[in-house]
Amino acid sequence: MVGLSVGEKHFIQGGIAQDLRSDGRKRLTYRPIYVETGVIPQAHGSARVRLGATDVIASVKAELGKPSALQPDKGNIAIYVDCSPTAAPMFEGRGGEELSTELSVALQRCLLGGKSGAGAGIDPTSLVVVEGKVCWDLYIDGLVISSDGNLLDALAAAIKAALSNTGIPKVNVAADATSDEQPEVNISDEEFLQFDTSGIPVIVTLTKVGRHYIVDATSEEESQMSSAVSISVNRKGHICGLTKRGGVGLDPSIILDMISVAKHVSEQLINKLDSEIAAAEASEEES
Amino acid sequence: MRGLQLPLSQTQRIRLQRALEKLQSLSCKANSDASVTVADTIPVNYEDAFLKGHGTTDLNGDLVATVCGVVERINKLVYVRALRARYKPEVGDIVVGRVVEVSQKRWRLEINFSLDAILMLSSMNMPDGIQRRRTALDELNMRCIFEENDVVCAEVRNFQHDGSLQLQARSQKYGKLEKGQLLIVDPYLVKKSKQHFHHLEQFGIDLILGHNGFIWVGEHVEARDSMVVDQANSSEQSRVPEEKNQTHTPLEMRQNICRIANAVRVLSTLGFSIDADLILETVELSSTVKIDIHDMLGSEFHVLVAEREAERRSLMGKRKR
Repeated sequence: MVGLSVGEKHFIQGGIAQDLRSDGRKRLTYRPIYVETGVIPQAHGSARVRLGATDVIASVKAELGKPSALQPDKGNIAIYVDCSPTAAPMFEGRGGEELSTELSVALQRCLLGGKSGAGAGIDPTSLVVVEGKVCWDLYIDGLVISSDGNLLDALAAAIKAALSNTGIPKVNVAADATSDEQPEVNISDEEFLQFDTSGIPVIVTLTKVGRHYIVDATSEEESQMSSAVSISVNRKGHICGLTKRGGVGLDPSIILDMISVAKHVSEQLINKLDSEIAAAEASEEES
Repeated sequence: MRGLQLPLSQTQRIRLQRALEKLQSLSCKANSDASVTVADTIPVNYEDAFLKGHGTTDLNGDLVATVCGVVERINKLVYVRALRARYKPEVGDIVVGRVVEVSQKRWRLEINFSLDAILMLSSMNMPDGIQRRRTALDELNMRCIFEENDVVCAEVRNFQHDGSLQLQARSQKYGKLEKGQLLIVDPYLVKKSKQHFHHLEQFGIDLILGHNGFIWVGEHVEARDSMVVDQANSSEQSRVPEEKNQTHTPLEMRQNICRIANAVRVLSTLGFSIDADLILETVELSSTVKIDIHDMLGSEFHVLVAEREAERRSLMGKRKR
C-alpha cells in the first residue's frame, strides 16, 4: 500500500468530517457493486464481486462425505479465504496469511453460526442426504484478486452470490440399504437443487475515522482508521455476527450506535445486492 | 476498449457502443495502419534501408510488431510505441512524484518509471530564497522541507549515465503539494502541452497534470510564500499540526475538488486524453445535468461523457473540412 503524505491524510480526515469523501461519496454510501455469477464453470457455484477497485471471487464446491457423529443430521460447511499476491505487494509469499486467517474466521463467525450449528445463515440440515451416513460437504473458497479496502463486505457479498448460483446435484439413494452399510448413492447429472439464500446475512463494516464512521472504506481511508467494526445483518434485521478490528478502544455507546447505523445501511445493501445478483444471473443465462 | 466494469443497462450499453464506434470511425480516417497488435506485419518499403527499433522483430523476412501500440517513423527508424507502458521521461517534462527516501543531500521520488527519480538538495529552492551553498545544517534539516510520502512537483532535468533520472524544482511553482488529492492515471493519457499547471480561477483550485500520469487536484496555494513562513515555524513544529486541525478545506472548495477529481477518473476509465479543457467541459456537463458528485462515477455519466466527446470530435472534424 502506498503511503500518504501529511497533507493528504489531513484532506481525507477533513472530507470524512464534512461528509464528502475523496470520490464524492457520503459517509454511508457504498461504491457501485458489480456482480458476475458463474465465473468458474467447474465449481458448483461461483461469483465475482467488484466494489470499486476491490475484486474478489467466491466459489462453492460440494462433495459427498460423512456427517460428524455429534451432529448426524447436519452437513459440513467450511469457509476459507486466500489473499492472492496480485492483490497487494505485501501479500507476496506468506505475507497474506494473517489477513486470510482473519477474514476466514470473521466469515465463519458471521455465516456459520455457533458450534451446534444454531443460528447459521446457511442451514446445514438441508445438506444431509442420509441421516448419520451421507451428507454434503460444502467448501466455500474466497480469493482476493485486488484489494482496495473493505474486503470483508465484498467477500460476504461474493459468497452470497455464489451460493445463490450454486446447484447441488440431486442424489438418489438406493432403497435397500441396511443400517450399518454405506448406502449406494447415485448422483444425478441433470437435476439440481438450488440453495435458499434469503437467510444469508450481509456484512457491513463501519470504519471509525476521527469522530465519524464511514461505510465501505477505500484502502487510503482504512489507513486512517482508529478502529473498525464489522456487523453481519440478515434480512430480518437480526445481527448474526460482530467483529472488531483496530487497537483503539471504543465506548460501548458508540458500538451500539454503530450497530443501529449498520442495520439501517444493511437494508439498502441487501436490496441492492439481491437486484445485482438477479441481474447477473439473468445475463449469465442469456450468454 | 477494455471491459468497462460498470453495471450498464441494455440501453446504456447500446448508447456507449454507438458513441465509441463513432469515435473510432472518426480517428480511423487519420492513419488506420498506424496501430498494430502483437504479430501484425508493419507496412514498410523493404527496398529502402531502414532501422528496426523497439517493439519490432524480423520474422521470416517480414517486419513484425512485438508489442501492441502505434507505429512511429522518424527518418529511417521504424519502431512501435507501446501505449500502456510505464512512463517514458523526457527532459523538461513536469512530473508529480512521491518521496520514497531521504538520503544524503538528495531525495528519491517514485514517479511511475522503472527507476526512482533523484531530486538533489542543490536543485531545490531554499526556503529563504537566497541562492547560497548548501551547508551541513541544510543537509540535516532536509526533512523540514520534504519528508517521506510527501507529494512533490518537479521538472525533469537530465538523465544520469546509469539511466536514472534527475529532477529539479528551482522555480517557485514547484515543490510540496498539500491540501488535495493525488490521482493516478495511465501516462499515455496526458499529452504534452504548453501548460501543465492550471490555476482554475473560478474554483480556486490548482490542477497539475504530471506527464507521468500523476495528477494533483488541490486547493490553490500562493507561489511558495508559505515556505518562508514554514522555516520560521520549524522550531515550533508542534503547533503546526494543531492549527491544521482547525482549518479544514471549506466545503464548497472540497466539492469542486471532488468534482474535478471524478471528472479525471471518468476520462481515465473511458480512455480519453486528459487535458484541462476537457476536464472543465466534463465538470460543466456534470453541473448542467445536475448529477450528484458521487454519481459521476456511475454508468449514466460515463455514457453521457462518451456521447459528448463523440459529438465534439465530429464537430471538430466537420469544421476542419
